[in-house]
Amino acid sequence: MRTRIMTLLRTNFIMLTRQRELILTSLGLAIVSMLVFGFLFSSNSASKTRLGVVDQDHTPVSAQLVSQLQKSDALQVFSGSSDEEQQALRDGQRDAVVVMPAGFSQQLVQGGARLQVYYDQSNPVTATSAQLTVKAIVDGINSKIMHQPGPVIVDQQAVAAKNLREIDFITPGMLGMLLMWANLAVGIQLVNWRETGITRRLAATPLKPISMISAQVVARLALSLLQGALLLALAIWLFNVHIYGNIGLLALVVTVGALTLLAIGFAIASFVKKSEAANSILLLISFPMMFLGGSYFDVNSAPSFIQPLVHAMPLYYLNEALRQVIYNGAGWSAIQTGMLVMIAWMVASMLVVWRAFKWL
Amino acid sequence: MISKEQLAGALTTEPVSGGMVEARGLVKRYAHKTVVNNVSFSVRQAEIFGLLGPNGAGKTTTLEMIEGIRTPDAGTAVLAGLDVRRQKSAVQRITGVQLQATSLFPELTLLETLQFFASLYPRSLEPRKLLSDVMLEEKIKAHPQELSGGQRQRLALAIALVNDPQVLFLDEPTAALDPQSRRMLWDIVLRLREQGKTIILTTHYMDEAQMLCDRVAIMDGGQIIALDTAAGLIGRLGAQATIDCRLDGSASKSEIEELTGVSGTRQTNDRYIVYTETMQATLIALLSYSEARGIPLTDLQVHTPTLEDVFLELTGRQLRAE
Repeated sequence: MRTRIMTLLRTNFIMLTRQRELILTSLGLAIVSMLVFGFLFSSNSASKTRLGVVDQDHTPVSAQLVSQLQKSDALQVFSGSSDEEQQALRDGQRDAVVVMPAGFSQQLVQGGARLQVYYDQSNPVTATSAQLTVKAIVDGINSKIMHQPGPVIVDQQAVAAKNLREIDFITPGMLGMLLMWANLAVGIQLVNWRETGITRRLAATPLKPISMISAQVVARLALSLLQGALLLALAIWLFNVHIYGNIGLLALVVTVGALTLLAIGFAIASFVKKSEAANSILLLISFPMMFLGGSYFDVNSAPSFIQPLVHAMPLYYLNEALRQVIYNGAGWSAIQTGMLVMIAWMVASMLVVWRAFKWL
Repeated sequence: MISKEQLAGALTTEPVSGGMVEARGLVKRYAHKTVVNNVSFSVRQAEIFGLLGPNGAGKTTTLEMIEGIRTPDAGTAVLAGLDVRRQKSAVQRITGVQLQATSLFPELTLLETLQFFASLYPRSLEPRKLLSDVMLEEKIKAHPQELSGGQRQRLALAIALVNDPQVLFLDEPTAALDPQSRRMLWDIVLRLREQGKTIILTTHYMDEAQMLCDRVAIMDGGQIIALDTAAGLIGRLGAQATIDCRLDGSASKSEIEELTGVSGTRQTNDRYIVYTETMQATLIALLSYSEARGIPLTDLQVHTPTLEDVFLELTGRQLRAE
C-alpha cells in the first residue's frame, strides 16, 4: 500500500520534471526575468523612504507613534501640516504621507481607528516600498489592539527592510508567476490525458481517478515548492535578496497559491475538450494575469479603470502576500485578506470541478 | 437455402451460467441510439472468444462494459463469479485490458510505464520479464511514442498482462498491423491460452477470427446475430464452396438456384454468390448454363466458404464495406 502510493507520487513527479515546456515557462522564465531585472536595475534607489507624518491628534499616543516611526532605520520622517506634506508629496519630496486624524487615539481604544495614507505613485518601487511600510505599521497597531490594548508600538522588524531595490520587488513577483505557470497547466495535462485516452486505460485498472488526481496535485505542489526554493536561493545568492518573513508562513502562502491555481486549472479542464483549446485558454488567462497581476509592475498605481480587473486576479493577491512576507516580514494579519480571496477562488473552482469535471 | 434462424440457432443453445465470463443482457444507449442491445454470452476458461463485426457494431462498447470502463444501462457481466457493477475493483484486479488504441504517458520509458502499472495491482509480474516476453527487451529505455505500430501493440499487451490476469480483453489487437506483426501477436495470444487465460477479443478480420477463436459471436447493429465455432457457423451455410461471379442481366436467379448442388444464391445487380454442396458439378452446370444461354460469365472466383460468407448471408452486407 505504502509503496503503491510512493510509486504513484514518484511517477507523477518524474513526469512533471520531464515536461521541458513546463519547466521552461515556470522556472526558466522566472529566472531569466529575475536576472534581467536584477542586473539592469542593480543600482536603483538605495535611499530611505521619505515619509511625511501629519499629527492632527496631538495626544501622547500619536506622539509615541511618530517617535516609533522616527526610530526606523528605513524611514526618513518629516512632520508638518496636512497641506504642507501633501504639497511636498506632489512635488516629489515625499514617497508617502500618513495622516493621523483628530480623535485617532480615542478611536484606537474604542476600535475603528483610521490612518489616511497618500502615496507618490509615479515611482512603482518607492510607492510599493511606502505602501508595504505603512501597511506593516498599521498591522503592528492592529495586532496590538486586538491582543492587548495599550500604547501603540510599531513593530521594528516589520519596517526594518527599507531599501527596496528593483530585484527585491521583482523576486516575489517572479515567484508568483512561476507558481501560476507551473500549476494552471494542470488543466492542459488532464485534457490531454482524457483526449489521448490515457484516462480510459487507467479506468480499466483498479486505480481510482481521485488517487491519480491527488497524486498529481501533490506532485505539482512539491514541484512548486522546489522551484520556488531554487528561485529564492538564486535571488539570495546572486542579488543578496533577504527574506524577512517567516519561512513557514512563506511556504504556506506558496502552498495556498499553488492549490488555488491548481483548482482553477482543474476548473478549466472541466469545460474544455481539446488540449489545443485548453492551451489557448491557458495563455489567454496567464498572459493578462502575468502583467496585471503585478508580477513585473506595481499594479496599485495602474489606472483606476483597470483596478477592478486587477483585484479580481488571484495572482494579484498571491504576489501581494509574497511581497508582504518576503520583503516586509509581515505576519498573518497583513496577508489574511488576500489569502481569503485566494481560498475563495479555490473553493469556487472546486465547486465547478465537482459539478462539471469528467475523467473519461 | 438455410434460414437466418438456423444460422443463428446457436444463440438459443448457449449455456447461461458456469462460464468464466458471462455477459448478461448488456444494454448501452447514447442519445436515443441503442449501441448495444441485449447482448448475452458465456465464455469458458482458457477459451479464445471473438466478437466479429463491422465498425459500429457495438463490439468495443460491449467489451468496455465487461471491463468496467463503461456502466451498462441494463444488464451486467460476471467474471469468475464477480459482478463487474458491484465488485468493479475486484474484477479489474483479475482482468487485463488492451484498448483499441492504447495511449500512454509520453514522459515515461517502457520500463517505468510497466512499473507504474504493476504498482496498481496487489500482485504483479516482473516488468523486465514481461517486456522480453513481448520481444521489447531492447526498448526498455524508449518512450511509447518512439515505437512502431506493432511494438506499441505488444507494449499494450505487456501492460494488459502485468497483473497476470485470468481474463484478457483485446480490442482489435492487430488493426493496421503488417502481416508479420499480426503473426507475432497471434502466436503470443495462442501461447496465453495454453497458460489457461481466458481471452475475449474483437476483430473485423475474418481470418483472424477463424485462425484464433474457439468460438465467434457475429455482431451487427448492437446485437449478436450468430454464435458458434467458426467451423460450425460456416458449416451451417450447408456449402462446400462459394462461387462468386458476374452474369449479365438476362440471367435468372431462380434458374441458377435450380442448378446441380446449389444450396443458396445471393444476387446484387449482376453479381451472384452461389453456395454449393458439390463444387465441381455446380461449376460445370453454371458454365453450361452461361454457354447455352449465351450469357457472358466474368470475374469467376471459387473459394471455401468463410465467415465473410456467413456475415453476408446473415446481413446482406459485406463485413468490410469500408
